[in-house]
Amino acid sequence: MIVVMKKIYFLLLILFFVAKSYAQTINHQVYAVFVVSIAKYSFWPETDAKDFKITVFGKSKVFDELTKGTSNKDVHGKKIVVTQTEDIQSLNDPQIIYLSDGKSNQLAELQKVYAGKPVMIIAEREGLFKKGASFSFVVLENNTLRFDINKKESEAHQIKISQSLSSLANEVI
Amino acid sequence: MARWQFGSLIFIFSLLSFTAFSQELDSLLKLSAFTAESDLQKELNQKTGVGSGKALTTRETPGILSVVTAEDIRRMGARDITDILRTIPGFDIGQDVQFVTGVSFRGNWANEGKVLFLLDGQQINDLLYQTVPLLNNFPVDAVEKIEIIRGPGSAIYGGSAEYAVINIITKQASSLNGVKAYGTVGLHSNAIGRTNGGVMLAQNGKDVSWDFGFFQGKGIVSDQNNFVDQIQNSDSVPYPVSNLAKVTNADPMNINVGIRTKGLQVRGMYNGYKTNDPILFAKFDNYSADIKYDFKINPKLTITPQYIYMNQVPWAYGTVSDGNYGLRSRATRNLANITANYNLSKKINIVSGAVYFADKANDLLPSNTYFDGQDYNLYNYAVFAQGLIKHRLANLTIGARYEKNNRAGDAFVPRLALTKKIENFHFKALYSEAFRTPAIENLHTSIGDKVVPEKSSIAELELGYQFTPEMLLSINGFALNTNDVIIYEYISLDQQGYQNYRRSGSSGIEAVFNLKKKKWDLNVNYSYARANHNSTVDNYKVPQTSNQFVGIPAQKGVAIFNYSITKNISFNTTLIYSGKRFAFTTNDQNGIPLATQLDPYLLTNSFVNYQSGGFMVGFGAYDLLNQKPAIPQAYNGNYAPIPGRSREFVIKVSYQLNFKK
Repeated sequence: MIVVMKKIYFLLLILFFVAKSYAQTINHQVYAVFVVSIAKYSFWPETDAKDFKITVFGKSKVFDELTKGTSNKDVHGKKIVVTQTEDIQSLNDPQIIYLSDGKSNQLAELQKVYAGKPVMIIAEREGLFKKGASFSFVVLENNTLRFDINKKESEAHQIKISQSLSSLANEVI
Repeated sequence: MARWQFGSLIFIFSLLSFTAFSQELDSLLKLSAFTAESDLQKELNQKTGVGSGKALTTRETPGILSVVTAEDIRRMGARDITDILRTIPGFDIGQDVQFVTGVSFRGNWANEGKVLFLLDGQQINDLLYQTVPLLNNFPVDAVEKIEIIRGPGSAIYGGSAEYAVINIITKQASSLNGVKAYGTVGLHSNAIGRTNGGVMLAQNGKDVSWDFGFFQGKGIVSDQNNFVDQIQNSDSVPYPVSNLAKVTNADPMNINVGIRTKGLQVRGMYNGYKTNDPILFAKFDNYSADIKYDFKINPKLTITPQYIYMNQVPWAYGTVSDGNYGLRSRATRNLANITANYNLSKKINIVSGAVYFADKANDLLPSNTYFDGQDYNLYNYAVFAQGLIKHRLANLTIGARYEKNNRAGDAFVPRLALTKKIENFHFKALYSEAFRTPAIENLHTSIGDKVVPEKSSIAELELGYQFTPEMLLSINGFALNTNDVIIYEYISLDQQGYQNYRRSGSSGIEAVFNLKKKKWDLNVNYSYARANHNSTVDNYKVPQTSNQFVGIPAQKGVAIFNYSITKNISFNTTLIYSGKRFAFTTNDQNGIPLATQLDPYLLTNSFVNYQSGGFMVGFGAYDLLNQKPAIPQAYNGNYAPIPGRSREFVIKVSYQLNFKK
């Protein structure tokens, strides 16, 4: 038995070292596509800012995908600029804050900091639209990605969401 | 091109069109939250409802699960259910009596009421003993898939699912919309091993679907010549020297009819089986009818009332020489069941229900003395509930069942499961209590005190990791403790029957490795079970070791390799290694059965398939090395092992014609 266990352990060890992490996982590219779609079909108050800033708050592979996918692209006539930060103090008033799953517990703090300001919070974690995010993602039974909308919250941030975008939501409150 | 690669290309294309996607908002609705699936992932991500009120993927369902598909069966050319079960971790085949073969699981003899067999939802376990004969049984070429819960299922499935559940689903009852005919011939060097065949017919309509299936087989138990059971042989009563190819049978028959319309489902089934050793025959004639209706009260709540009627003449036995029966009893069951399935939210499901059944048995022999000239009645009721909460950290399943039997008393079994797939990793932590309700004969022929329900507690932990889209390794450990074990014991002609023994069980590990490439795939599994040293069941013990019970290997290793030579031709090799076993093979000078060690064996099977359109022909050889592994009795019950079959060449032919939609 001990010999067998040792062999299995050895096999496991080899497999862990040779394996690359490209099994079926969360498709962050699709999340990025959704974020840009949300940006295009939502409307912020007019400002003089040259760039449309999307800041990923916390660690998320969505940052890499957004960076790749929005290079030299614009939205509402402004160049899309994607940044990432771990520090709530250095968010720098973007149009969209993408709240990574790991930073979900800082949603309430974000709300306080950006109360009434034209900043949209899109939460990676399901269900956070009920806790103050304007959008949060949800994975449906058939594994397709969708989003839930808190329209009241968006309006409180002076952001209008187009009807065509709202109609795609899984749930709107 | 594999489907997942094709899917990837479509997705990459959609990303290249990054700037254009916003004009097509509707296309967002089709985007998956996960990366494209490989063929292996497609299998793993298929949802199953076994053991749960809500369908979950195989990596998250609250049970250790093996799924065998029609494609797996076709490629390996499985001859019967024993060929399939031998490839599943923990399962093996043993002998009961009269050459009836049954299942062992995780090192324990499990033929009587410990493993529930369902065929298109119909319970196959008989009502007198809860057994299922296996050799050459079941229409394996009609199977769409077999879902095997390698663990207890009592909380949902009741008192015959103490150790495992084997849920067989035929094509006719699921996917077939047309007609399929199939046949198998098995040839040993000097005997015909089997001739099995069947036909299925099914039509899936918009409002009404129906299906019909017929399967019949003729086989032998072994092809050994000059067989003498050295335990039953004595100077006073010599055992007849027998050519088993000529005197034994393993003849199954199944007729299966179903109709579905809206929420109504009706199914009727006849399942028959006949086998014999050189002296005694055993015959099973089991009929069942099942009607249920899904009342969809609202999108969240479904209530399903169900009525099942079973009418059986199970395990009727008699002497081969004159055909006279020694025991022939009818057993019937009237079962009413109501189940509510409520999706409280997307993440919370509750399934609950109540079951009542009445069993009745009576003697069919002219003397009518077996049940003292009267009907023997059992009444049983049960309530059960199970909740599933899908949380981002883990899925929690919590449930319980309470069952009361008018003769055996009551049983309460709780169940708790935590499962989750996190990126490439998944885990399952499971604890279940399970029970076996004593069947009619367990109670009727009890010796000593009243026989009470047998109870088990099973703790399981599975860890799995997907290294690449095509490669998965999962390892699980288990600790199984059974109390009040229901055991048959022969003390003398006048004193034989069932009684509870204090405890038995086993612990061990099982590992499954899957690698699925475009042209080939490999499935390797290993299982080890060590008998509990504190077992009090003397009939299971052998003097040579306390680490394993009689007749059952401690170790088993399986490797299944498939290679697609062309689009139409595939090649399969299946290797099954079994560790040493112990068996009672002969008597000592005092007439006491002696246990000896049976050497490990390696079953080497190969099968080649050609498929074109609906036509399939396959040819293969089983036990190429001619190891002839014997099938020992899995307890000390005065039977020597059934001699193993020799190398068997198998030819399979089938044709499927689909109806136009």
